[in-house]
Amino acid sequence: MSAAKVKMREKKMRNQPASVQYPSSSSNVESSTQNGADAPGTGENADPLKGGLSEVHPSTERKKKTPHQSGWVRGHHKDGGGYTKEMPKYITAGAFARARAAEVSAMLKAVRKTTSSSHVFEALPKHMRRRAMSHNTKRLPHRLREVANRMREKSLQAGSKKKKEPAKSKSRKARRRHGNLLLEFNRRQRKNIWLETHIWHAKRFHMVKKWGYCLGDRPTYKCYRACYRAMSSHCLLQDLSYYCCIELQGDEDKLLAALSQLTSKEAGPTFAAALCLSGRRQGSVMVYRAGRYPSQPLGPVTFLWRPRTQGSVHRQLWIWAHPTLKQDLLPELQTVCQCCEAVIPPAAPVEVNPTLEADSEPENTPEAKPVPGTKRKRSRKDATGPPAKKILGDGTRLPSTPVSWRSSSNGIVINDLTMEIVRYRLIGPQSHSVLVDTLEAATGCDEVQKSQTCSLWWPQHCSDEAKMTLHQQQADIFNILKGIYSTAELPSGTVLGLTVDDPRLTLPRKRVKALPCVKQAQEVDEEKRRKLMLEGVPEPCCQSFIWEQSVRDNVTDNKISEQELNRMRSEVLVPGSRLSPTPLQGRVPILLVHQPGKQVGHEMSSWGAGWDLLLPKGWGMAFWIPLVYRGVRIGGLNMSLKHSQNKAAPHFPRDYPDCPAGMCFQEEQEAELLDKFKRHPPAKRTNYIKHGCVAPFRCPWQQLAEEWEIIVQEGGSQARTTAQADAVTEERTSQQAISITKPLSRFTVLRNRKALRLLSAWCRPTTSKGQRPCRVGELPPISCEAVTSFLSAHAMSLVWVHVSLLSKGKPEYHAMLCVPTPEDLKALGNRQGTGGPQEPPHRDHFKSRIKRRKKEPKKAATSSVTPDKPDGKEAELIFASDLDTNASKDPKSFSESSSDLVLGLWPDPLPSVASHCSRVTVGWVTQGDFSMSAGCGEALGFVSVAGLLNTLLNQTSEHKGKLLLRNPTSLHYRFAKINVEV
Amino acid sequence: MTEPRNPSMSSIPQTGPAHTDSSSPAVEMDPVEYTLRKRLPRKLPKRRNDVYVNMKTDFRAQLARCQKLLEGGGHREICVHGLGLAINRAINIALQLQASSQGALQLAANTSTVELVDDLEPEDPDEAGEPMTRTRNNSAIHIKVFYPDPQ
Repeated sequence: MSAAKVKMREKKMRNQPASVQYPSSSSNVESSTQNGADAPGTGENADPLKGGLSEVHPSTERKKKTPHQSGWVRGHHKDGGGYTKEMPKYITAGAFARARAAEVSAMLKAVRKTTSSSHVFEALPKHMRRRAMSHNTKRLPHRLREVANRMREKSLQAGSKKKKEPAKSKSRKARRRHGNLLLEFNRRQRKNIWLETHIWHAKRFHMVKKWGYCLGDRPTYKCYRACYRAMSSHCLLQDLSYYCCIELQGDEDKLLAALSQLTSKEAGPTFAAALCLSGRRQGSVMVYRAGRYPSQPLGPVTFLWRPRTQGSVHRQLWIWAHPTLKQDLLPELQTVCQCCEAVIPPAAPVEVNPTLEADSEPENTPEAKPVPGTKRKRSRKDATGPPAKKILGDGTRLPSTPVSWRSSSNGIVINDLTMEIVRYRLIGPQSHSVLVDTLEAATGCDEVQKSQTCSLWWPQHCSDEAKMTLHQQQADIFNILKGIYSTAELPSGTVLGLTVDDPRLTLPRKRVKALPCVKQAQEVDEEKRRKLMLEGVPEPCCQSFIWEQSVRDNVTDNKISEQELNRMRSEVLVPGSRLSPTPLQGRVPILLVHQPGKQVGHEMSSWGAGWDLLLPKGWGMAFWIPLVYRGVRIGGLNMSLKHSQNKAAPHFPRDYPDCPAGMCFQEEQEAELLDKFKRHPPAKRTNYIKHGCVAPFRCPWQQLAEEWEIIVQEGGSQARTTAQADAVTEERTSQQAISITKPLSRFTVLRNRKALRLLSAWCRPTTSKGQRPCRVGELPPISCEAVTSFLSAHAMSLVWVHVSLLSKGKPEYHAMLCVPTPEDLKALGNRQGTGGPQEPPHRDHFKSRIKRRKKEPKKAATSSVTPDKPDGKEAELIFASDLDTNASKDPKSFSESSSDLVLGLWPDPLPSVASHCSRVTVGWVTQGDFSMSAGCGEALGFVSVAGLLNTLLNQTSEHKGKLLLRNPTSLHYRFAKINVEV
Repeated sequence: MTEPRNPSMSSIPQTGPAHTDSSSPAVEMDPVEYTLRKRLPRKLPKRRNDVYVNMKTDFRAQLARCQKLLEGGGHREICVHGLGLAINRAINIALQLQASSQGALQLAANTSTVELVDDLEPEDPDEAGEPMTRTRNNSAIHIKVFYPDPQ
């Protein structure tokens, strides 16, 4: 019994005579029925035999009661004799009466007194209660008013007391004082890292804690369509600084040899692709565990080589990975590079530079002059003295955690540059105009400045002639960008290094919209523009000083504080004009990386192209605000999902179910969706069983792949109708459920480009809504032999498909992709307008079980389960096998699983997922929405390769690649065309 | 027409050999296989009375758009542009406009050549191949549809 219960019981018993016993639990009901004779006041209660029994009536009454002892049995019972032994022969009248008197008085007392916890008006009968009685005591009858008033005062007092207690903390003014505020901020980012733009985002976005970061999910204002428009016609800005950068340094051939273990050429260009290796382009690649090409993928990364310096084989490589991928990738990199020696942190950039810190202390302002790697602990310690430091970079990392590893055998060094570089992504055709508007190539410095010896990096560079010519070339190329109308005109992945002035100096006074300037476009040399469009940026111009650790640190340390800048602005003669001369600190090396737009498929090509802006840490807000002032929209995580959806690209980690991060994501998503589902009252929940949806919150890919492999094996090479396939699956899966499946290989996602191209041609690619067929190259036509040979290699694979609905309908995630029957396709040919077939509603057999369990909680555990007979005619066929498999399992396992029965969801051993409904399932959708670029519902998802090929073989050429799509909450199938896009 | 023009409308090869997704041995770029990727045609600044015709939007919708510009939009003249496959449609639209105006509208057609850019990405096993970029030309038509001045 819990403490609260004990307390309640004590309270209840306070006014009771000791002789009256209340049952503390149902088990000792019988024992407490003895009354009277053994009341403590009577004195001779020690021996029940001494108690008097002078009358006849009590004894007869007792005899009637005795059977209660062991369950309810009607009439006289022999076993009742056990009680009669204890029965007293006689009772003393005086003692008996006294005991009764005590009981009666206790009873009267209990009846008169209201329990203290209840409100006064609860004493009223229901029909006399009125609304808001506790608020206005005049609504109570007169006799109760006084009591109610007293109670009200009491509760008010209690309330005010409670409120006062936590207010003991500092005053708001003290809390908002800069140093204290920073301390508070530093405390709050102990678990989840804040990006540099966190505070800006936190004021405008719904923030989520994900992957160890605090990230903006979506803005609080309505801007879904506006953001889409920005992506397709202007510019959308995102902060991608949470992406992790891992730096590899070493000899080129050794690096390539190590990295080649992680990739495969079958899946596209690797780290060694010539153009990427020269440093002129950014590359992207799918990474696998070392030497485990198709079976164990890790995830997609992008990478960037630093251009070669003259006569050196030493190279530098940045690998950008998603934070969930980093934890898998980093150990893998360490093994392939044989880098196990952790370099002790002092060598790492987290070292605090004491002199710099001293410098920066006096100018602590809201945009405090940041000092790299200042430890939180440290700042807390000396909080009494100089105010706290803003954390820059990774605040969650312990100072002793190594960030650098060196190999003794091959000289490769791995640096973890997480949070060292700020990365902003600009998406949209006008993103280059925004950049051109915001940034200005750094101005050189005059002789006086050059002659000054100081710690800044720019004057030193100015004195070097070669570096200045390079800078001039870069600035020229940057100016050519003005003459370009759309970002998509440039070669994808182009890299441009640059040094720019502090963009805060040219901040416009009002928010403006950056647009390409036609006049300027004509000024720009046509020939140069053509060269840039065709060939991209020449190799030397891809060099940037952001690659140098020392320059990065120097720039970060010497940033002009916002306060200082404002002071300088106030001294300018003409308000709002540009500051001149440009302060020496305001030169920042940056890197611009072009991001390709939509690259697959035949429509909307290069949609969503843009630029990535790479900055040294600490400069995040200095570039963010000027960019925002150029009229860009800001997007969060939500928009990056939509971006990749419109690009028909898989989104990491959501669409990588075979990667560890993807699996983790699936589990989290399932838990989250289930939690949301359970928050609804049972009557308001969707009953997914009735909708024939086996797994509404996750996609059991493994089970699907296994089932389809079996179907194809059984089917052999002969063509068969889907109905036959149906029967086979049912049969097989029911067997499967009983005998635990034989060990099967794990499913993989097909990424072999040749195979994908073949599949793509077999699906007969069309434009969206299936309007016009697109051309494909000469590839072998689909035939039984070709399919068999294809399946022998990729039987357990899934393939990424793009689904566009032929009629109306908005696909949702986890919608099912099913195979239409020949009759469905015939109907489609006849009447284009009809929406598609309907799924007959299923019966929920678990509902009755749940109900029964509720009724008799004890018995349900032991009773054997008798399966209900399905009487729904349509569902009978489909359900028979599933039901049998469930019933055939021993009841024990069922009772165990019944503990997590949720109304409307299938309990855990799922039935056959492929053949659960009237149309055979081949896959699921992972993201789907109404596509504003195509004007119809579009979805992305995976289908089983075996299932897809089986379907394609049976379809006539005019209906090739047409599937049915059904949302989990609907019974309506919609026709959809799938395309495998390479 | 806020949408960028569909590249497939410019996909009819006007010059040079056939280009398929994987180049056939007849083309000179063997032995390395290339993937062809077409870039969008260069966009130019657009006035309100410019209509770029594509093959994806419904013909009637494009016609109605032009009519609205001329009648409701208060423009005295509009310019209909078509590239490649869409030339035909651009001419059709212009003629339809003229026919429906009972001779009030006049046409003035100009042709031009638009340079298009293709990217060829190598798919070779040793990854030494440089991606190539090539340009090809495609025809375009610009039809001015206008009300002649009263004099």
